Amino acid sequence: MANYYDELLKICGFEDGEIKKEKLRIDKTFERLELGPEDMKTAEEWVRQNHDVELAGVRKLLRAWLKELLDMVLAKDEGKKIIYYGFPTIQGPGMAIKAAAPEELYVACPDVVLCHTLGQIFNKLTPVLEAGEENGLPPGHGLCTLQTIRVGGLAKGIIPVPDLVTGSSYYCDMGSKTDELLHEKYGHRAVYVDGSMDSRWGEYPEYLPQRVEFLGGQLNKLFEAVREVVGVEVTSAAWDKAMSISRHLFHSIGQLTQLAMADPMPISSVEVGLALQLSAGSTGKAITEGPEAIDILCQEVKQRIDRGIGVVEKGAPRVIDFAASFSDPSITHMMENAGLAVAATLLSAPPPKSIQPTTYTTPGEIRAEREMQSGIYHSSFGFAQRFVDAVKDLGLDGVIWGYQYNCRPMAEASHLIKEWVAESAGVPVLSLEMDIYDSRSYSAAALRTRVEAFAETLRVRKAVAKV
Amino acid sequence: MEIMHKLASHLKTRLVELNRAKQQGRKIVGYTPGGYLPEELILASGAIPICLIRGGDHSVVELTGAYLCRWIDTFCRAQIGYAVSGDDPYYSIVDLLAIPITDNHIRAISDITDHSTDIEVFPFGVPHMKEESTFSYYLHGITRLKAKLEALTGTEITKPKLREAISLCNRERELFREISLMRKSGPVPISSRDFVALNHASFLADKEVMVEILESLYKELKGRIALPDGHPRILLTGSTLAMGDSRVLDLIDEAGGEVVIEEFAEGIRPYWENVNPDGDLMKALAECYFMQRVPPAWFRPGNERRDFLIKLAKDFNVDGVIWYQLMYRESYKTESYYFPDKLKRDTGLRMLTVESDYDPSEMGPLRTRIETFIETIRGKRHG
Ligand code: SF4
Repeated sequence: MANYYDELLKICGFEDGEIKKEKLRIDKTFERLELGPEDMKTAEEWVRQNHDVELAGVRKLLRAWLKELLDMVLAKDEGKKIIYYGFPTIQGPGMAIKAAAPEELYVACPDVVLCHTLGQIFNKLTPVLEAGEENGLPPGHGLCTLQTIRVGGLAKGIIPVPDLVTGSSYYCDMGSKTDELLHEKYGHRAVYVDGSMDSRWGEYPEYLPQRVEFLGGQLNKLFEAVREVVGVEVTSAAWDKAMSISRHLFHSIGQLTQLAMADPMPISSVEVGLALQLSAGSTGKAITEGPEAIDILCQEVKQRIDRGIGVVEKGAPRVIDFAASFSDPSITHMMENAGLAVAATLLSAPPPKSIQPTTYTTPGEIRAEREMQSGIYHSSFGFAQRFVDAVKDLGLDGVIWGYQYNCRPMAEASHLIKEWVAESAGVPVLSLEMDIYDSRSYSAAALRTRVEAFAETLRVRKAVAKV
Repeated sequence: MEIMHKLASHLKTRLVELNRAKQQGRKIVGYTPGGYLPEELILASGAIPICLIRGGDHSVVELTGAYLCRWIDTFCRAQIGYAVSGDDPYYSIVDLLAIPITDNHIRAISDITDHSTDIEVFPFGVPHMKEESTFSYYLHGITRLKAKLEALTGTEITKPKLREAISLCNRERELFREISLMRKSGPVPISSRDFVALNHASFLADKEVMVEILESLYKELKGRIALPDGHPRILLTGSTLAMGDSRVLDLIDEAGGEVVIEEFAEGIRPYWENVNPDGDLMKALAECYFMQRVPPAWFRPGNERRDFLIKLAKDFNVDGVIWYQLMYRESYKTESYYFPDKLKRDTGLRMLTVESDYDPSEMGPLRTRIETFIETIRGKRHG
């Protein structure tokens, strides 16, 4: 007998046999998510409209996200010990923790999973956001909506209560304070990985070695907590294993982001985001399903490039955006419909050239050094400089600085980054106040006029430069 | 009180004095509030510390629209407004702006002032937890600050000089503590308005003059017999109580409440602990300023502060708590959701949360909410 979700799952790359095999899990998950037949119709339409499902690689990515959703919702029922990490900086250690005991643990960033499934596939994040607002993070105060999703997901029983949570306590206050709020409610342990962003404006790429030692020590401390709370030892071998199993994934992502920069842009930044964030939000399906899905996608994209097929016109102005919306693909499509090739995001841009081989020996310090060198977690200046480097390295025509308004590390430098990047990279910068997790107030329609005007500016600029 | 007039006249001429001192070659070191900057280091270097504590003015906040979006704490936006205005007498006079980076709101002051003004900025990190490694990082930060001050002033911060400065600052903290404790129970000999004014003054005044004033006041208050007044006793807490932001205190006063104890990270100096004047003085400063003090809400977890609030509520025999936070300081906002439950559980007391963006239009609703709260706890007291 057919299930009410068959059609959607097939659009998302599932095969009949697999649906049959997973039926009990799917039924249970969808029931908990309050997803019924009506929701499937909405989802089918939403996915067809917003995802390039003619590409098998995209279908497989959607499938990987859905399977991650099943794993997350059912983790407790399936006897897993659960560890959540905060997005995005604790992802590397998250991979190492998972690699230490892949069968026993569920390790992920649950809010990112909900954005990419309930948001990107079902267009049904609002009830979760509302539950988060009712349970400690009220609207109107500029509180992080990614955290609101986490709070709402737990309140609704969608996200199971974890055994341990950890987050980067040095980048923002919201992650840690939300962990604390949730600890008050559910009692689970929270490990705060602290550090300090105390560089001066203009100091990047320099930094004090003490910053690396401090943050590195904190990351190492996380592994001790994992041993205490869930009884899993994260050894250097586990770290190496994590690095080696994720190597394929990151190699494939690197290839995809390279290909996506072709002219005409062969694939929407929405789909690149699906791949990129899978590696950030999941340590499970990202590893088991991610590489194959992305490799297939790369093949398909190559074919499009060979045939000159693009999702925007050839010669369209090429821009870098901070990040594609995690939960609402229509926003990035709106930018593309305005005639912009969103060729890169800050998260997919090539790493800084200044990265040197490490001299540190502990996993924590190696990771911490990388954080400093990457710029984004060094300082707001480092963040700005990454945009500048990307524009120069990739020969881009403009920047969309779509800053997350309720994310203080971005809000504090909202205008400085625009000014610095425009001055230093010599291209127009559109500063766009956005919410990449919750598009209720920052929808494609609300942002369209400014994006269209910006696209027009870039087109005129390009045309004038040609003359 | 006569002594408060003396203080007011000292403050009136303070800017003139500061300008004169600057002309004579003394360095003026400004710093942001939060209680993480050991003034002792500035004093021992021969420079003059001034804490940039003014706020409450919406028009200054409005100046910042061209520099950052509105989702940053109101007080911090106000500081940016003063700094970028180019004509603020305090920001214009500083030779160095030392900024203990506690959170992203304070980081905004550092980044924007550094980028958009000629003021030299010296940020150093304040970790968010109390551990061995965080202690070392803080200690490293203030050691860098020491070197910076020595370079700026050309004066070596010797142990005797530092000890002398510690002794002066310890005396100031002791006096604040003693005066504050006079409000523990029974009628209060000094109003919160005056106590807060003393705190604010201490951020700008000459340290020796300030200590003298506090000594005289302490003696005066000790001899004073305060009359019972029967006003509901209030614990006022929050992120920032700036100089010039007196609306909440005024409204509590007008509604017949009496603030008997205040807890603010920014605006009230941490006066509960003293620096150990023996042994390694830099370590002693880090011990007192980082490890021993009760941290603000941006610490994780924040239970030390919340437990302290419960203790204050009990020790000062309060009838209710008013939590006054400025807009968009997310750590305080988040805690204000779950603290009332703990407060109720542990003390049976109620809490009112009020917020401000320094906008005059908030006055009406603020008044109504405070009046209703005071009325409710008054009713409970008598009921
Ligand atoms: S405030 Fe920003 S950094 Fe912090 S959890 Fe939210 S999105 Fe992430």
